[in-house]
Amino acid sequence: MPGEKNRLLRVTEGLVALIQGFWTTFIHLFRKPITEEYPEYKRPLPPRSRARIILTRDPDFEERCVACYLCSASCPVSCISMQSAERADGRRYAAWFRINFSRCIYCGLCEEACPTLAIQLTPDFETCQYDLLTLVAEKEDLLVDHGGKNQEYNYYRYAGVLVDGDKGGHIQEARPVNLKSNLP
Amino acid sequence: MPQLIIDRREIEVPAGTKVIEAAARLGIIIPRFCYHPALGSVGACRVCAVKFLEGPVKGVEMSCMTAAQDGMVVSTTHPEAMEFRRYVIEWLMLHHPHDCPVCDEGGHCLLQDETVSGGHGLRRYLGLKRTYRDQYLGAFVQHEMNRCIHCWRCRRFYQDFAGYRDYGVMQIGNRTYFGRFADGPLESPFAGNLIDLCPTGVLTDKPARFKGRRWDLERAPSLCLHCSLGCNITGSARYREMIRVEGRLNEAVNGYFICDRGRFGFAYANHPERARTPRLDGQEVTWEEACRTAAHRLTRISREYGPGAIAVWGSTRSSLATLGVLQRLCREQGWLGPQFFNSPSRERKVKAAISRLDAGVAVSLADLEKADFLLVAGADPVNEAPMLALGLRQAWRRGATVVVLDPRPVHLPLEFEHLPVPPGGIDLCLDLLVRAAVSHSATEGLLPEAAAAFFNNLSCEYPGDQPLQDRLVSLGMKLKESKNPVIVCGLDIVRESTVVLAADHSRLLRAAKDRAGLFYLLPGPNAFGAGLLSLAGEPSSPSYADMLAAAEQGRIKALVMMETDPFRTFAGQPQFLAALDRLEFLLVLDYLPTPLTDRVQFFLPTTTVFEEEPSGWVNQEGRCQQAAPIYVGGRPISQEGAGSHPPRVFLAGIPGGEPQPGGQTLAALGVALKGTGAPLYLEELDTWLAELNPVFAPLLESKVTHPGVRLLPEARGDYAFSHPNKATLRDVPDDHLELLLVDWTFGTEELSGYAPPTQEVEQPPRLTMQSRDALRLGLGPGDRVSLALGGESITLDLEIVENMASGMMVLPRHRQLAGQKFPEGPILVPLQNIHKV
Amino acid sequence: MGWLAGIILLLIKLGVVLVVLLTAAAYLVYVERKLLSRLQIRLGPNRAGPFGLLQPLADALKLLTKEDLVPEGADRFIFLYAPGVVAASALLIFAVIPFGRGWMFMGHEIPMVVSDLNVGLLYVFAFSSLGVYGVALGGWASNSKYSLMGGIRGVAQMISYELSLGLSLVPVVMLARSFSLVDIVAAQAHYPFIVLQPVAFILFFISAGAEIKRIPFDIPEAENELVAGFHTEYSGMRFGLFFLGEYVTMVVLGSLVAVFFLGGWRGPLLPPLVWFSIKVLAVVLVLIWIRGTLPRLRYDQLMHLGWKVLIPLGLINIVVTGGVLLWWGS
Repeated sequence: MPGEKNRLLRVTEGLVALIQGFWTTFIHLFRKPITEEYPEYKRPLPPRSRARIILTRDPDFEERCVACYLCSASCPVSCISMQSAERADGRRYAAWFRINFSRCIYCGLCEEACPTLAIQLTPDFETCQYDLLTLVAEKEDLLVDHGGKNQEYNYYRYAGVLVDGDKGGHIQEARPVNLKSNLP
Repeated sequence: MPQLIIDRREIEVPAGTKVIEAAARLGIIIPRFCYHPALGSVGACRVCAVKFLEGPVKGVEMSCMTAAQDGMVVSTTHPEAMEFRRYVIEWLMLHHPHDCPVCDEGGHCLLQDETVSGGHGLRRYLGLKRTYRDQYLGAFVQHEMNRCIHCWRCRRFYQDFAGYRDYGVMQIGNRTYFGRFADGPLESPFAGNLIDLCPTGVLTDKPARFKGRRWDLERAPSLCLHCSLGCNITGSARYREMIRVEGRLNEAVNGYFICDRGRFGFAYANHPERARTPRLDGQEVTWEEACRTAAHRLTRISREYGPGAIAVWGSTRSSLATLGVLQRLCREQGWLGPQFFNSPSRERKVKAAISRLDAGVAVSLADLEKADFLLVAGADPVNEAPMLALGLRQAWRRGATVVVLDPRPVHLPLEFEHLPVPPGGIDLCLDLLVRAAVSHSATEGLLPEAAAAFFNNLSCEYPGDQPLQDRLVSLGMKLKESKNPVIVCGLDIVRESTVVLAADHSRLLRAAKDRAGLFYLLPGPNAFGAGLLSLAGEPSSPSYADMLAAAEQGRIKALVMMETDPFRTFAGQPQFLAALDRLEFLLVLDYLPTPLTDRVQFFLPTTTVFEEEPSGWVNQEGRCQQAAPIYVGGRPISQEGAGSHPPRVFLAGIPGGEPQPGGQTLAALGVALKGTGAPLYLEELDTWLAELNPVFAPLLESKVTHPGVRLLPEARGDYAFSHPNKATLRDVPDDHLELLLVDWTFGTEELSGYAPPTQEVEQPPRLTMQSRDALRLGLGPGDRVSLALGGESITLDLEIVENMASGMMVLPRHRQLAGQKFPEGPILVPLQNIHKV
Repeated sequence: MGWLAGIILLLIKLGVVLVVLLTAAAYLVYVERKLLSRLQIRLGPNRAGPFGLLQPLADALKLLTKEDLVPEGADRFIFLYAPGVVAASALLIFAVIPFGRGWMFMGHEIPMVVSDLNVGLLYVFAFSSLGVYGVALGGWASNSKYSLMGGIRGVAQMISYELSLGLSLVPVVMLARSFSLVDIVAAQAHYPFIVLQPVAFILFFISAGAEIKRIPFDIPEAENELVAGFHTEYSGMRFGLFFLGEYVTMVVLGSLVAVFFLGGWRGPLLPPLVWFSIKVLAVVLVLIWIRGTLPRLRYDQLMHLGWKVLIPLGLINIVVTGGVLLWWGS
């Protein structure tokens, strides 16, 4: 019967596979372990590795964060909280900004969600603490004085909201409409 | 009834229904920007395009502009329609500033939703973006014109629906601009609705600016407590702080909209001075200790001086549960009270009003909009209950005649007949008007006996003012033509007889026309509930003044004040405090930081309508509605952190989360007083209320659901006309002016008086009088006058107007005048007490 | 005096066996982790002490000092004693296993077995089945869906493989003509039973592997599906007891294989105790090797193997052995 033959073949194949598996693992016994021992050897991490989070600044040295809440909304563990507020010149900013690193899973969704490139993850991962509360980082702890991975971008040059000066001064904007004139 | 097929589903809709609405009935929401059920169609945005496959219309058409017709076959997802909508959205986004991260609309933005669902992601147009300069539109509305997509909703609401003119449209085509001619605050007290209506971020909530995103807010259906109309709102809280309030659709009450007082007056719940811990002799104590001590002291006083030595005050801004438990506690303990109203005449008026309302004659705000003749007696809608003005306007837009009998300078956003008669003359005017309207029925003998008897008693002349009389009669002729008249009666400034008379006249009109409505305005969000309890509480409780006098004489030893602030409307602060000092025990429970909460030795905090537990409220037409809790309570995080980040601590409880709902606190007090075997105050409350007053019975039968349960008796055929003693026209001596204490939209209402946004727009109190009276006193416009009242005097700006009754002065019951001593009843001021300063 | 000496002797033997067994179990953990990591080209524990040798100690300390949690809604009493059942039943099996030739001491022969029961084999079965009560009760009492499913799976697996385990040993008993483990070892004086009964050996090895719930038969724990199966809710030393039970059973299994098929303590040159240890260790190492190589069986595969392969094979093996014995005997 062909079925029987197939079964016999399958059993043989299975046995061979079993033996191959055992052989493979057995051979491993005599190979040099590939483990890198961490505290003695620290592997240089690529710049896009995801660990400690920072808040960057734009080329004008202003805080990039506009406290739009997108990072906190995208955070799957709800470790980001903030309060947005209005500066005297109308610029939106974070009155306070808090990341609870004891909850953070370093998934990087906040960085992806950030429309102003403010929040970025860095390769610095050695942040363990014995007291959980010391892992709660405030805005002062997060804010750095550089632009992180992108030194050029300035959100306010694109978004047509007024911070200071007249309307129409941003990239790709026309002069404001004069309401009191019928001239085209 | 046209039948049509939308997305392969059949539906039958009333003739005239637009396809977009027919689809909505099937649960298919066609994208829209300009269409709004309350504002109708205009076809400005072109985003509701659908494909008509069969029937009288073919091809891609706007579903908001096409009325449903028989045989139509509509596809909302046809590739052609989808393609069309995709392009429309791309056009709309041509000039959009792409500033969602800093826009407050982001998160609940219709444009955002439609752009994403339409599939538009990248701006392909390489030209420059058109820009606009923004305007300052006052404290409530933030303007950011670059985000505009020209849907015209704002202008259509502001000018057509609400009837104000100072905001509109300028320029044409691509340059169309929505705003004011010049910067300045919006004049309409309904301007806040622009925020809800605007589908993008052009008009956003200024007090809530940058406070949080929609997805972070705790939201729940709630109720507005800033007048007696009981408008439905959706409240939003974040970080233990009320952030904003939006209108919530209740077709039986407010429709889609609310007034600015209701929208921006909520911030009293966040007041930084709100006391949030039980306090005993200046020390913060635990609830258990507070309840125990209170019960102990009350028991001692009750034992020593009898239960009558304990008096209880309530108010009309407490939930039904609080009022009910308060009443029950008083009954059981034999305490004096509770007195819910701060003046006896107000109590009598409320009782008179609600005892004369029944299911047949009471109309809701929505019914009122369908009336064709509105007789407003002694009410100033914009100031007392703003949404009523919007309701009147809708009736007027449908062709109704609006007649206002009121001594005040009444402004309404519609064309109306204002007859500025003194409060004593309102009765006569009502008589004359209705008499002229029903005289034919009476002469033809069509009226039932009781109604005919009432008709025969009506006055037939307005002494000393023939032109007015003629005008009334001609208006009466119009009333005669009407099919669905409604009498609106305010309770604030009218004589007690007017309240009764309004009910009688509505019954008379009903007898003559089969249909007539009655619509009272009551003082306070739960005045109806308090009135029902007071009615059942015969003999009625002594007034505040009587109790205070008794306290001064030492007959009352203890006073329990439940969510009431007598300073606001009652006698002067020093005398009042002196009387309170003679008490052995003063217990104050409140959720507002009233002047009393700081002074009393014994204070228990309660929760606002937004916190902790659902609460029931009965509006002025007897509709009991439920407000769901929005957040759990506690001190706002912004106050905890003083603007910076909140403290970094592990806590088991909520900071400032001690306050309990008033009803629960009282129930706990009741249990502490009676020990074991105390009744289940809250659990059995509905049963107890129904036993007390049978109109509460509907609460037993079902849960209070949207749109509310009416607590009204059934309409009975045998209405007993009251034949009240009508107010006399000339009840003010010639050398006196009557001082009317009135409400303003902003500044007089108690709760919104604690809210910074509404404080910001309120005007300082000013005295208003008619030009003839001003002339008599030798006063001119812009003068400052001093008014001597009962030994004290106040100084105010004077406003001189034409459209008010003479012999009157109008003064707002302003929060800046709180603590002032005003006498009870009609206040007559001798002319010599009014001086120019 | 004889009975007193007997009791003292018993206690000494018990103590020694217990200490050796527990230490062996603890270091087995170390051996397993180390060997497993080498099979996977890793280093394994190397931080606690030289070569990580103090790791078992550190583990024990950690387990002892951890909080002993009882989940809400758990059946407290059963939850607390279930791990004890597992550990105790594993330890008790060792009572009947002979681990060396009897000693002559002061004219008495001291048998190198705690108790030479004439129904030793049945006793072994009884206690290995009893162990599943710990699993089932622990899983049920935890009031957790994962634990419950783990417990149920444990019971189902145990019932299935108990049969083939028993059937595989019938030929051994037929050959040795005794249920006593001492006699079985004695019967292998010339050649170990593995030579006579290779099929029974394989059957026993597989079934016993299933009995002690090791990979590839660890579906009661099945980390990827059930978190940790029946001991999901256990922490601290109660989890430690489950853990201990597992490794003691490993040693016991090694001993049983040695006793039934490898001639027990018998062997040339080296002392019997050493031979016994070598054989036990060899079995254990093979078990670890299996763990390092094979993936977990699916539930249906497990049942298929038990009911459709192992049990029929066991029955055929009995018939063949019986036939051969009959023919041989005649």
